[in-house]
This record gives sequence, C-alpha cells and structure tokens, in this order.
Amino acid sequence: MRSRLGGQNWLLAAFTVPIVFGVAAPNAQAQDSYQLGHGYDVGPFNFAGYSDVTANLPDEGRQSVSLDDLSLFVSGHITPWLNPFTEAELTDLDFVHSGLTQGGKGGGSLVLERLYNDADLGGGFTFRLGKMLAPVGEWNEIHAAPLVLSTVRPAVTYQNFSEYLTGATLLYSDASGSIPDIDLYWQPEREFSERPTSITFDEYREVEGAHVKIPLSLLDQLGFSVQRSRDTLGVVQTLAGVDFQYKIDRVTFQGEWTYSDLSGQTSKLARRREWGGYLSVSYALDDRWSLYGWYENFEKRSTTSSADDLLFGVAFRPDPAIVFKLEYLQNIGGTPVNPTGLFASWSVLF
Amino acid sequence: MNKRLILLLLLTFLAPVQAAQAARLIIIANPSVVNPPTLSLKDVAAIYLLRVTIWPDGSRIVPVNREVGSTERTDFTAMVLHQDFESLAAYWNEMHFQGKLPPVVQESEPAMLAFVRSVPGAIGYISENTPAIGVTVLAHVP
Repeated sequence: MRSRLGGQNWLLAAFTVPIVFGVAAPNAQAQDSYQLGHGYDVGPFNFAGYSDVTANLPDEGRQSVSLDDLSLFVSGHITPWLNPFTEAELTDLDFVHSGLTQGGKGGGSLVLERLYNDADLGGGFTFRLGKMLAPVGEWNEIHAAPLVLSTVRPAVTYQNFSEYLTGATLLYSDASGSIPDIDLYWQPEREFSERPTSITFDEYREVEGAHVKIPLSLLDQLGFSVQRSRDTLGVVQTLAGVDFQYKIDRVTFQGEWTYSDLSGQTSKLARRREWGGYLSVSYALDDRWSLYGWYENFEKRSTTSSADDLLFGVAFRPDPAIVFKLEYLQNIGGTPVNPTGLFASWSVLF
Repeated sequence: MNKRLILLLLLTFLAPVQAAQAARLIIIANPSVVNPPTLSLKDVAAIYLLRVTIWPDGSRIVPVNREVGSTERTDFTAMVLHQDFESLAAYWNEMHFQGKLPPVVQESEPAMLAFVRSVPGAIGYISENTPAIGVTVLAHVP
C-alpha cells in the first residue's frame, strides 16, 4: 500500500502546486454548497484533504523546500453501521534540497494514514474497526498542518508512542459534552500498511490504551492518555500522558506531557524511561495574525541528555482553512531532537 | 417638541421591535424526520457541534448553515451555539479531519428552505417571517 517515488519530483510538483497553494480555491468557493476546508460532497461521500509545503532551513544539515503532505481523505455516511473513512497521502517529497539524499529522505512516499469504519451503537457509543490515529494527546489526532500550531512539531506529540493503531476502538461521546469523551483501543498485531522507516521512529505492535478527554469549552479541553505497547525490537513501553488547551481572551495555552517506562529488550537503549513535555502560548493579534511560541524538554530513550528546544513564530491565516507560518527553533541544551534553524510552511485544508 | 425630539422618540420605540423581529428564527427539518423529537436549543446546538449525528429513527442528520455574514447565521450562532466565528471554524475543521462533516452552507433563505425540503435528514433555520412551507418546524429561537 505504499511506494517510493523516483526522479519525477518536478512532474509531481507541476501537478500538485496548484492544489497545495489553493489556486483552485476561489473557483471552488463559488460553488453553491462548497466551503473551503469542508470538502466536496458526492452522494453520501465527502472528498477532502490538505496540503503542506514547507521550507526547512536548519543551521546544520540538509536544507529543503518540500511537499511535506498532500493528503486526501474520503468519508462516507451510508447507514448508522456503515461510515467508512480513509486517508492516503503523498509525503516527504523534496522540490529542492541541499546535499545528498540520505536514507530515502525527501524522495516522497505514498502512505495509507487511515482506513476504518465507524459503527454507531447508539447512546453516544461508536465502534471503530481498522487503521486509525492513536488518541495520545490532542496534537496526534488533529496533526494536519492547517490545524496545528507550528510547522515544527514538538517531539513529545509523536516520537515516543505508537501514532497509529490497527485494530478496534470503542469511543464514547456525550451529546451535551458534560461527560468526558472516552476512547478504549486495542491493536493485536503489527500496524497495517506501515509507514516507511525513513519517516518513522519506532515500529510498534500489540498496542492497547485509553484516552479520556474532558471538554472545557468548544476547543478547550483536558486529556489523559495511557498506552501500553511492544515495539518490533521487543521493548515494552507503558506510557502515561496529560494534554490540555485553554484560551483566555486572545491568549491560548497548549501543552502535553508524557512519561514512559521501558522494559523488555532495553539493552540497546540509553535509558529505561522516556519523558517529555511542551508548553505553548499563542497570542491572536487579530483574526488573521498571531504570534506563538513553545518550549519543550524531551528525554529520548536513545540519548543520555535531554533536549531543550525553544521556538517562536508568526502565523498568517487569510482564511480559517489556509495558514502561513514562519518560525525559528533554537536548541538551548542537550542532544537536539529538532534542529536549530528557520522553518516556514504554507498549508491549505480543502 | 421639535422634530428632532419626535424622531428620537420614534427611534427609541421602533428599534427594539425591529431587533426582536430580526432575532426570531425557526428551526426546520425535512419531512422525512418521522416522529420529530421536541428539540431544546441545547439539542440543536449538539447537532450543529456534531456531537449528535443521527435522528432517533437512525437516519443521518444533515445540518445546514447560512453563509458567514448573514443576519440569520449571526443570530443563530449567538443565540443557539453561543460561540464566535473563529472558534467555530477551527472546531469544524478539526471535526472534518476526524471524519465528521461540518454543516452544509446555503447562501439564501430560499436556498436553505429548498435544501431542507429536498434532502432527507436535513435540519436548518429560517427567519420567522419566511413561511415554512414543505418542512417540519422543530423549534423556535428564542
């Protein structure tokens, strides 16, 4: 279900640039029922997606302008028991880059992100079967570039747990939002259609866990995550995490912390625990411009010192579905997880 | 009493009447919604916030919105959803990424009425001044 792309990047670029820069958006908006970011309805199916073009200019190492993601997702609502959803994406495709390509990075990959069916059981319960995003923290579940705070993702939001799971989930969502949303999930074997190793950190199997989200308002929330997994090297990981979002007038705070206990085949690891956390603040100058920043401390299993990263940026959102971000990340201590440098992105939800 | 004072008094008495007329909305649904439930405004909000997606008979709910900037959408957002536009746009984009479809947009009162009348499971809102012909009235706002 995945393939590497050869030396046809410019052909692909010519094809995808109109889409990723939202050139088609004005025409599409003119249609009666189309709204940018809401997809296009065909019968019981909705076709949508997002694009993300990034400029990565780290102080050291490989620099690139690339198509970070061109994602297409289709959702169907046929009967209460039949609500299929699938997402596939073209990712990590360099338009231009400096230096040599290493380990397949920048060559482009077609990956299956999600493929599942939701069965509505009534009473607020949904049974989900297939490949899906693991509900560890808020960022992982809404990781599309137009929806998240920064171009560079804090490591704690994706590097230290299974981001995907293939199996079953029971979800509970209260109609009024007065009772916490609850997800219970289980993956019995390996992930279906695993992502290429060039864009993953650890490959997991036998994943199980739970996520509880307490809605505080429409977007504000407090979440708790637990996940137990075994990776393909035999490392058993037990993770506990907390995440939150809270808005006060023009200021929005977000954060996530996780702690993992590692056991099993840990002889190749530098430590038997892994933990990290980030705290972000964003300030809305008006309804289009905002300033943001985050600090992260991340203690990775494979390094002996923890990384301290500080990021500042500015975002311009001409439409709720389009955002440009420009930011600078500074590693202020420890072994870097994200590189120091300048980063920018232009992303469109369509 | 001079003319300016008379005009001021007239405006003082007329303004609340006009405001009240503009604020009143009717929640309507497609006639396919059999045994329509009695909906509170909290129930309507739960539908538009995509926390309730299925009618009691098992059919899919299709919420319909007016375009941003219309009086009806402004009133509906303030009186039923109690949210600001930016937060709602961000919320619906997030929900869409998670497979839940945001409300469909119809850009006029006749278009809203025609859409709700013709699409099974549709729910929308119109001004109280518009005759609700061919649809089921579920609630009044306020």
